[in-house]
Amino acid sequence: MPVSRREFIAAGASAAGLWLGVRVPELAAAAPIATFDPNVFVSIAPNDVVTVWVIRLEMGQGVRTLLPMIIAEELGADLARVHVEQASPGGRFRTVRLHTSGSSSSSDTYRQLRIAGAAAREMLVAAAAAHWKVDAATCRVELGAVIHGPTNRRRTFGQLATAAATLPVPRTPTLKDPATFTVLGRPTRRTDGRKIVTGRAQYGLDVKWRGMLYASIVRSPTLGATLKGFDAKAALRVPGVRHVIAVNSGVHHGVAVLASDTWTAMKGRARLHVEWEPGAGAGFDSAEFLRGMPQRWDGKLYPIRDEGDATAELARSATRLEATYEFPFQAHAPLETMNCTAHVRETDAEVWVPTQSDVRTLKQAALASGLPEDRIRAHHALMGGGFGRRLFADYVAEAVQLSAKLKVPVQVLWTREDDMRNGYFQPATMERFRAGIDAGGRLQALAHQTTTSELTIYDLHDGRNIWTAPPKPPRADNAIASGGSPWGAFDNPYTVPHLRVDCADATSPVPVGPWRAVEYPSTVFGRESFLDEIAVATGKDPIALRLELLPRDVKLVGTQRIDRARLAASLEAVRERAGWGTPFARERDGRLWGRGVACSVYHTGSYIAMVAELSVARDLSDVRVHRIVAAVDCGIPLNPLGVEGQVESGIAWGLSATLLGKVDFVNGAAVQGSFRDFRVLTIDQMPKVETHILPSQAAPRGFGEHPVPMVAPAVANAVFAACGKRVRSLPITAEGMRRA
Amino acid sequence: MPTYSLTVNGRARTVEAPADMPLLWVLRDRLQLFGTKYGCGIGACGACTVHVNGQAVRSCSLPVAAVAAARITTIEGLSRDGAHPAQQAWIEEDVAQCGFCQPGMIMEAAALLRARPQPTDGEIDGAFASHICRCGTYNRLRAAVHRAAELGGKR
Repeated sequence: MPVSRREFIAAGASAAGLWLGVRVPELAAAAPIATFDPNVFVSIAPNDVVTVWVIRLEMGQGVRTLLPMIIAEELGADLARVHVEQASPGGRFRTVRLHTSGSSSSSDTYRQLRIAGAAAREMLVAAAAAHWKVDAATCRVELGAVIHGPTNRRRTFGQLATAAATLPVPRTPTLKDPATFTVLGRPTRRTDGRKIVTGRAQYGLDVKWRGMLYASIVRSPTLGATLKGFDAKAALRVPGVRHVIAVNSGVHHGVAVLASDTWTAMKGRARLHVEWEPGAGAGFDSAEFLRGMPQRWDGKLYPIRDEGDATAELARSATRLEATYEFPFQAHAPLETMNCTAHVRETDAEVWVPTQSDVRTLKQAALASGLPEDRIRAHHALMGGGFGRRLFADYVAEAVQLSAKLKVPVQVLWTREDDMRNGYFQPATMERFRAGIDAGGRLQALAHQTTTSELTIYDLHDGRNIWTAPPKPPRADNAIASGGSPWGAFDNPYTVPHLRVDCADATSPVPVGPWRAVEYPSTVFGRESFLDEIAVATGKDPIALRLELLPRDVKLVGTQRIDRARLAASLEAVRERAGWGTPFARERDGRLWGRGVACSVYHTGSYIAMVAELSVARDLSDVRVHRIVAAVDCGIPLNPLGVEGQVESGIAWGLSATLLGKVDFVNGAAVQGSFRDFRVLTIDQMPKVETHILPSQAAPRGFGEHPVPMVAPAVANAVFAACGKRVRSLPITAEGMRRA
Repeated sequence: MPTYSLTVNGRARTVEAPADMPLLWVLRDRLQLFGTKYGCGIGACGACTVHVNGQAVRSCSLPVAAVAAARITTIEGLSRDGAHPAQQAWIEEDVAQCGFCQPGMIMEAAALLRARPQPTDGEIDGAFASHICRCGTYNRLRAAVHRAAELGGKR
């Protein structure tokens, strides 16, 4: 019996819950006629193929595995036979936001996808019960089939799909008891592993259209520079170069060379003569910017936390400590550089783009093409790394502008140097801490002064030129109202009788944006290093001190809910797993050895404590991190293999920034431009990682970012334990240790 | 524009390209072999690693004119549907995250395993020292190379 093209309208349990989709004509026409399509997330064809659409964007964090697992769990499908499709905006998904950020993919979709899977399961069971004329309660699902318990009769989902599609969608399906989960909680390999290892996984750049031109763009050499003019003659003489055209993404002005292939476009670009008008950031110098940072705290301060009277308490404390920590500008440097392929036609457009933000892709593409958003079809390719950089869509603007002018498909590829120097950098920040300690050695007051940059991301929805857009008030103004920024400063988990956190604006001409773990890397580096300094000053064990400051309760700060019992449990677990209390030879193999600890909450939902074990050369010429032990509580661990992978990944990311790379600006331009001068961790520097996942029944929390921020302080604290050098500026270098 | 006769994944291919065009762009833009990736263009990241006469090389820094007479193998030609021990081991160890660097890594592993069927950790670190994985999959990668050595030994 064919399914009628009826429309299912919202039948969800909550506003954020199930969205039962509207079938749009073109999709319905393309789909097999009798496909059971109960909602936007899943469909079942009569041939038993279960298709799950992934409503977040994959950049290596594992959503193409995890989201299908959630649906398969409730549906009772065989995950190994589930066909995974990436959702793209529009059509079936026109009211679904695919935007992927803040480690929120699992926490935001967990309930929604469970309800979707459960609704489909109940419809299939009802169809089977009707077919057998039995009570639905006597039926169960198992690996893609409904089974009638008493008689052991079995019908596959495919056999039931057509009948199930005619049934009403249950509004409040019964969810499984997590104790009975068989898919979630089991270590599960990537669903697209085979595609990746055979080179068949499709990234943004892996498309080619007939007549497509390849573009390479020279962009503003200094921050905010604008295009004055260019001479294209030499470039146009390169065989294969077709056009030379000015572009403007709203962040960077540029001149694009379009050619028959990438190499020719790059060659033509090298022969361009471009004149620039220096802009607002022409003289910017990051070292000078950091030197001037403390003066920001003499200006306007925005209160972030204020408990007790830290100022008065500091004045009367028996012992006072003060330290300032520095975090440099950082590049994201995903291995796949920014790129976009666009084809703008008279009345519609298509873009292929690896991005974290469907929302900004459409906005930028509409702005650049003059077409309404609903005439633009975006295909979201697999990302060769995102890390926050791909929340912006400046590369979309470039490709769409060029294609709109030429009316042919255009592929824009950034070179590594383009990518390194034209990013939305992690802002350089500074953290100043003061502690008041009473005569009994107890921490009575803690004052933290932090800085924040206007994260450009919040300003770029409309694709305006960031250099000419009117300034907006510093974000710190509404930090509390917006739910707790800067992260790591606002949600300081420790209980101190007198706690004060203030924030000063430290906006620079550098376009900045979230980098893996957003504000935590800087604030947690400062906070957890300073805790270590307090432990040293008071003669306490660093873990014992932290546990002393963590009552086993839930602390509410603004909209943040910090379960301090869970953080304390992570610390206790890492203490045991790392062998913290066991004897540890300080001098071995001609090197100085040390251990350090750090812990943090991530945005209310997950908790990590980390211990780093390392050695320092006697002449302080290098640091080798040998082992990192992490105790993590991320709520119900939905895919333990994925969690472990993200811990290792976050540690590698954190170590790159702790020991190797940073970005300096001199005369308004990023100094580092390749992997030769912006160094990242390689295999020979990767420590042994031991991840211990704590059992939890709490709601799941995504894990792509959280492992990053503890790495720098754990390492810095271990460096101090090893050689007595307190390095308060990242990255930790031989020079930094010698100076300390 | 000169014409080159190349042997790519066992097939004779004729391409027209400027002599200085790196093999990477010949593979991607001329032959639509997209498994070989661009990461840096200066041989510093390894994403573009392919085999030329069985040796792992950086295709981004190798002009097409230099490989005209050579036997070229890309990730697409390493095996039929991922049957190479390195590919099997990569799946078993669940190495890939974003996966972008992994074709280059696997080509490096395949060349290493041919030269050193049972590589030590030190040999693995040496072979991969200038490969970059921004997702930091190094520990699983090392385990996968060892696992591939085991799988290769059984064949």
